[in-house]
Amino acid sequence: MILLEIKESIKNAFESMKAAKLRSALASLGVVIGISFVILMGWILAGLDKAVEDTFNIIGKDMLYVDKWDWAGGKNWKEVQARKNITYEQATRFKKMMHSAEVVVPNARYWGGQVKYAGETYSGIGIEGVTYEYALTPMGSIERGRFFSEFEDRQGENVCVIGTIPAAQIFPDSNGIGKTIKINGRNFLIIGQVKKQGTMMMDFVDNVIYIPMKTFFSTFGYMNRSFTICVKAGSIASLEEVRAETEGIMRTIRNIKPGEENDFSINETKAFEKSFVTIRASVWGIGIGMTFLSFLVGMIGIMNIMFVSVTERTKEIGIRKAVGAKKRSILYQFLVEAAVLCIIGAIVSFIICSAIAYLAATYLPMWIEGLNFLSPIIPIRLLIIATIVSIAVGVLAGLIPAIRAANLDPIEALRYE
Amino acid sequence: MQENELIIKIEQITKIYQMGEEKVFALRGVSLEIKRNEYVAIMGPSGSGKSTLMNIIGCLDTPTAGKYIFEGEDVSELTDNELAEIRNKKIGFVFQTFNLLARATALKNVELPLIYAGLHRHERLEKARKALEDVGLLDRITHKPNELSGGQRQRVAIARALVTNPSIILADEPTGNLDSKTGEDIMKLFAELWRKGNTIILVTHEEEIARHAHRIIRIRDGLIERDEINPNPIY
Repeated sequence: MILLEIKESIKNAFESMKAAKLRSALASLGVVIGISFVILMGWILAGLDKAVEDTFNIIGKDMLYVDKWDWAGGKNWKEVQARKNITYEQATRFKKMMHSAEVVVPNARYWGGQVKYAGETYSGIGIEGVTYEYALTPMGSIERGRFFSEFEDRQGENVCVIGTIPAAQIFPDSNGIGKTIKINGRNFLIIGQVKKQGTMMMDFVDNVIYIPMKTFFSTFGYMNRSFTICVKAGSIASLEEVRAETEGIMRTIRNIKPGEENDFSINETKAFEKSFVTIRASVWGIGIGMTFLSFLVGMIGIMNIMFVSVTERTKEIGIRKAVGAKKRSILYQFLVEAAVLCIIGAIVSFIICSAIAYLAATYLPMWIEGLNFLSPIIPIRLLIIATIVSIAVGVLAGLIPAIRAANLDPIEALRYE
Repeated sequence: MQENELIIKIEQITKIYQMGEEKVFALRGVSLEIKRNEYVAIMGPSGSGKSTLMNIIGCLDTPTAGKYIFEGEDVSELTDNELAEIRNKKIGFVFQTFNLLARATALKNVELPLIYAGLHRHERLEKARKALEDVGLLDRITHKPNELSGGQRQRVAIARALVTNPSIILADEPTGNLDSKTGEDIMKLFAELWRKGNTIILVTHEEEIARHAHRIIRIRDGLIERDEINPNPIY
């Protein structure tokens, strides 16, 4: 019986909206804006989440990076800077001692690389020395060509594997494989290109050229640099064990006495999750504030139109009561009307936001490459959330006018002209 | 259906309105009984209390004191919702100004009480159609009130009153907004409904209209002045 009345109320709601189209449209404008905020915020967050997830996948969820530096930046910066370098000897010792990990690769980095090709000079590209096993880590996975072999690695051949940014910069029209470039005065044959890995958050990881470790030493020298030890656990399940062993070995190698703090950092994706939570929270914070305000305005709009509607339809309420409508029935009628107004607002918002999302995701990355994490499709769960929120807003905004309607005296209401 | 079965039994009801500081006695102790299939007119000038009495009989209002027994049930102290249910199931209203929903079709208007009775669509439509047929408007069911003449509108209102098969039909000045010719047609319809076994209570201030009823109750200053049988009802 209640269902039946609600069904009737929905029909009535559409009829009364048809009777006052412009007024209904204006009243629900606030709700449209509010819901649009919710949807767009959710859409951006979903994009950010995906960007972060992608980043984590690049870094590798089962990867540990032993480094002098703390990547997440949680530690005292001065203390970190005062740490001793992780030397190549320590890295190779570590590799020998480590048993539980699948792959261990030392990594050296040179930031001021000067790359020349066809008379042009490109700077700011990171030159990294790694061993052939780097191909087994997520960062070293190959897009085209190949990674250098164990033989080339041992021999210290002048071969390199380039990242997507230098590839696009130096060879805008081809992929550059088979070409020879000059890195700090030496000729290198490009034998492969790694997959694009960066997202908006970490696109520097693509601005890199990998060369064999031995070649790196002979080009940039060997002393006074700190190495990163890349440790691939092999699976997330074994990460715990590998982390424990890593810490133990490093403490032994670095002669840390019991009770003393580590003078190295074990970096992993987990460390980034924390800092990402902060970004996420601030997006939410701003969004929630704006959403709250626009919903407040929206609710006042809906409440206003409902009061007008109740007054205008006093006679109708009287008639309905005379033929047997209970307070509850009248209450539902007006609540449903307010909710329907808001649901229609939600649908309109969803259409508008879908258009915005599609256009933004299609055209914005053409100008700002970092925005390519945006999805052209608004997830359906946001539609569900928007609908629920809009029903709640409608019911809340319609409550006082509906109670007033329900409590009208039938005799007075019938007399109203 | 029993003849002579008591539908309405009113005992010493009073109704007092508080108008600011002043107390207004609309009814000062009215008692009356109405049996099934009676055709009663309640008459009185404006301010006599007849509207108040009609509202109480129609369960739109409750008396300040006294008892109102409707079909054996004491309705003088029911809640608003319980009164709504009685109005829905047992009382059919016909108003002077028709009181139809302006945006709804004739069929929809007649269907309205059945929605609140909780009937399903199929059943509602069937009954509403039948009621409109009974008042001779089967060819107008999709028309909205503004597409109908005054007499047709009042017929729709009568169909709406009939559709729940109520115990009484309560008509408040049903011809007040109609020309005399159309008014006569409506009165003929009431006579016909009475012959079919309906109980009709007519509230009017027009002697001419009251003379259609078989019993005339005259109200003045909140009291029953006279309650007499009309020996020669029209129709």
